[in-house]
Amino acid sequence: MAQPPPPPQQSRDNAFDIVSTYNALLHADPDLTMPVAAIEALILALAHTPSTTVSETLALVSTLTARLKTHTRNPISLSAGTDLFQQYLITNLQRPSSSSDFDTIRAHLVQNGRLFVSRAKAARATIAAFGRHFIRDGTTVLTTGGSRVVGALLRSAAEAAGDSSSIRFRVIYVVFPTSPPTPSPSPSASESSANITALRRLNIPVATIPPEAIAYSLSAVTQCFVGAEGVVENGGVVSRLGTLQMAMLAKAAGKPFYVVAESHKFVRLYPLGQGDLGVEQGIVAFRTAEGGGEEEAEEGGREGEGLDGRREASDEGVADMDGAAADKAKGGAALAPPWRLEDAVDYTPPHLISGIITESGVLLPSAVSEELIKIWF
Amino acid sequence: MPSATVGQTPSLSTYLKSLKHNDIETSIELFISLLKRRQIKNSRPCAIATISLLLRVVGEARTRDAQQLIERIRAVGRRLVAAQPREMAVGNIVRRVLENVREVAERDQDAADGGSEGSTSIPSTPIRGETMRRPAFPTKFSEFSPLHGAATIPQDMHARAPLATSGDSSPAFGGTMEAALQRPPLVSSNTSYAGQGPAASSLFSILQHPQGRSPYATPPTGTQSPALKASPFKGDEGQTSASEKLDIKAEVITSIQDLQKELEEVDDEISEFAQDHIHNNEVILTHTSSQTVQRFLMKAASKKRKFTVFHAEAYPNDHLETHATIVNGGGATAEDADERWKPLTSMGITVILIPDSAVFALMSRINKVILAPHTVLANGSLIAAAGASTIAQAAKTHRVPVVVLSGVFKLSPVYPFDTDELIEYGDPGKVVPFQDGEFMDKVDVVNPVYDFVDAELIDLYITNLGGHAPSYLYRIVADHYRVEDIDLSGKAEGGAVKAG
Repeated sequence: MAQPPPPPQQSRDNAFDIVSTYNALLHADPDLTMPVAAIEALILALAHTPSTTVSETLALVSTLTARLKTHTRNPISLSAGTDLFQQYLITNLQRPSSSSDFDTIRAHLVQNGRLFVSRAKAARATIAAFGRHFIRDGTTVLTTGGSRVVGALLRSAAEAAGDSSSIRFRVIYVVFPTSPPTPSPSPSASESSANITALRRLNIPVATIPPEAIAYSLSAVTQCFVGAEGVVENGGVVSRLGTLQMAMLAKAAGKPFYVVAESHKFVRLYPLGQGDLGVEQGIVAFRTAEGGGEEEAEEGGREGEGLDGRREASDEGVADMDGAAADKAKGGAALAPPWRLEDAVDYTPPHLISGIITESGVLLPSAVSEELIKIWF
Repeated sequence: MPSATVGQTPSLSTYLKSLKHNDIETSIELFISLLKRRQIKNSRPCAIATISLLLRVVGEARTRDAQQLIERIRAVGRRLVAAQPREMAVGNIVRRVLENVREVAERDQDAADGGSEGSTSIPSTPIRGETMRRPAFPTKFSEFSPLHGAATIPQDMHARAPLATSGDSSPAFGGTMEAALQRPPLVSSNTSYAGQGPAASSLFSILQHPQGRSPYATPPTGTQSPALKASPFKGDEGQTSASEKLDIKAEVITSIQDLQKELEEVDDEISEFAQDHIHNNEVILTHTSSQTVQRFLMKAASKKRKFTVFHAEAYPNDHLETHATIVNGGGATAEDADERWKPLTSMGITVILIPDSAVFALMSRINKVILAPHTVLANGSLIAAAGASTIAQAAKTHRVPVVVLSGVFKLSPVYPFDTDELIEYGDPGKVVPFQDGEFMDKVDVVNPVYDFVDAELIDLYITNLGGHAPSYLYRIVADHYRVEDIDLSGKAEGGAVKAG
């Protein structure tokens, strides 16, 4: 779920503009996921900025990461990539054996930027190869969103259908209507339509339904697949708004609900609820007839309880977002909502998820924390 | 058919006897045909037969090379699993043995290498670098690999030598991390899945050195990235065949014998937990004639616990054995006569036999349900005798805890993509006898032998390692099986060399 680029910011203190690089990367390659784009942007930044010591590099990376996070509306997915990269640097650069070879490591990292990306994309193919086993003759798959990896999975099953071992399955695609104020179709909508077209071309019957019809159609469904922006520590996922709803309905109907995500989307975050994601979404915006008094009372209570650090971070984000919105407002529509609904995310708790299909196999939600521990400790 | 003892129905005991004087190939064929004809069935007999056979296979293997041994075991395992894919205990045991071989090989390698920094790497032993590659998934119910490389946890029962983990794909805990990070992605020629890129199994590997892409890669000697080859463990990857002087075979045989012992003791180990779970005046429901469950209950009874057992009879596939168990205790059948024990009733326990159909009605009176599975699957769900699902569902409705007693050998790394495939259908004549010709003509009779029980219906697994939540089983799978062994079918292994 790519987001439109915030207005390119002139960086004051540094020649390299990480934010616009990141956005440019995301735009240039529609197959790129946010964590990988973030890693790539950081690598480019490293290449661009000379640094000679370990701590200098680490400091540079962390300032760049911080800037990137504050200038992105929803840094959850992105932070999976930046965290991974930072941790990789720390473990690699601080090894006594390698510290003498600092320049070599740097050069290596920089050289292999593209390779990382291609490897991340290869993960998708691997996942698709696994996921194919979930799809059997006569199954009906419920899916939603423009997740590229879900699309790849379904396509790979459909392509297998072309072989002698033809799998006959059907797809019910939940298509979220684009909200009126957006003139251009949202990227996610166009992506889901790309997926739908591709599947139909492969002779797979696809039905599109609005989100209101999920419960209605669920009786016909065998299993659900969704993508994710981030997979959090407890095995839950942060994903496009509406995923939680689908997961709850699937649970109620007793249908398996699988999340398809590359493991570089695992993020170190432990949300306790919807208000705990560290991003201000303004989905529940209370108003009275007087207007004007738009109260962002939404998650006020819960926010207050949050840790100070997180509080601060999210506040910064909001402040910045407002700035971005104001910039946009200059162009015309004075009352443009700071968020489009398509960009909003929700958190699906692990008990609603049957399994997480990653390139390293099908994980139970409870296995996610261990994968994260492996990186961090 | 080389049947060893004439005039006796072939069974586990006759097979074990025949194993002593038949040659290997005959024994393998005999076991395959016994499996196919269901003359050896159920998890435990299958496991015992498999381990005994593998012990012979290893004993007769004329090689000291771990890789050849692995290939030989895999080749045999492949045939056995193909003979009866639903007896997953066979595959589990094969994988356990393979794991043992690999572990022994790694240990030897570490010992042999010492601190040698030699960078000559012969891609002959894949043990170290191998975990980073995934097996392909060609089988019908494809495989589950929960966590790569099974990094050790401190209390891990089967803790490997610390060095052993370092080579795994997991940047393991503590000091092993750096080794894991810079593991040169070495790929053996023997088991490489050519053409299949070594998929990243850890998050870090996405950032790893490009050399990892090419199979047959040797660690870059000073060319691309000195930093990446600085690992002191690198030498491990390569040279073994030269320094491998320790007798791998003997060690493997010892480890197989340990495994045999584990199989013998599994019930006792599980029953050690009985006192924690069965209390005075409880009402227990169980199902089928399971030796494990009987031993468990006996243990509780022997500790002066007074409880009541409702025993669902598991008609039509297992009711005769169930009745025999209740009346005579275990070991009533001739084949394991050496291992009989008293019935529960002799210890003053009230046992009430009920038909399966009465389960729901009685469930409100039950305090605890104890089940014995046929196979436990990697996601915490299980396959058990038909009727188990009914019991588990009824228990769920009445909020009665369901406890499953299962040896680790029943724990399979298979992920249930399609549960229907795992269910076996038995003799319909047990439901409606064939004499009832008119009935048989007009009506289709099916007799499913097994049931699939979902993980969420189960509250606790008790294995010989202790009690585990269903969501934790993936961890035990990771500790006991190697990722590269999960898929035994070997379809993707173009270069697989059959040593045998």
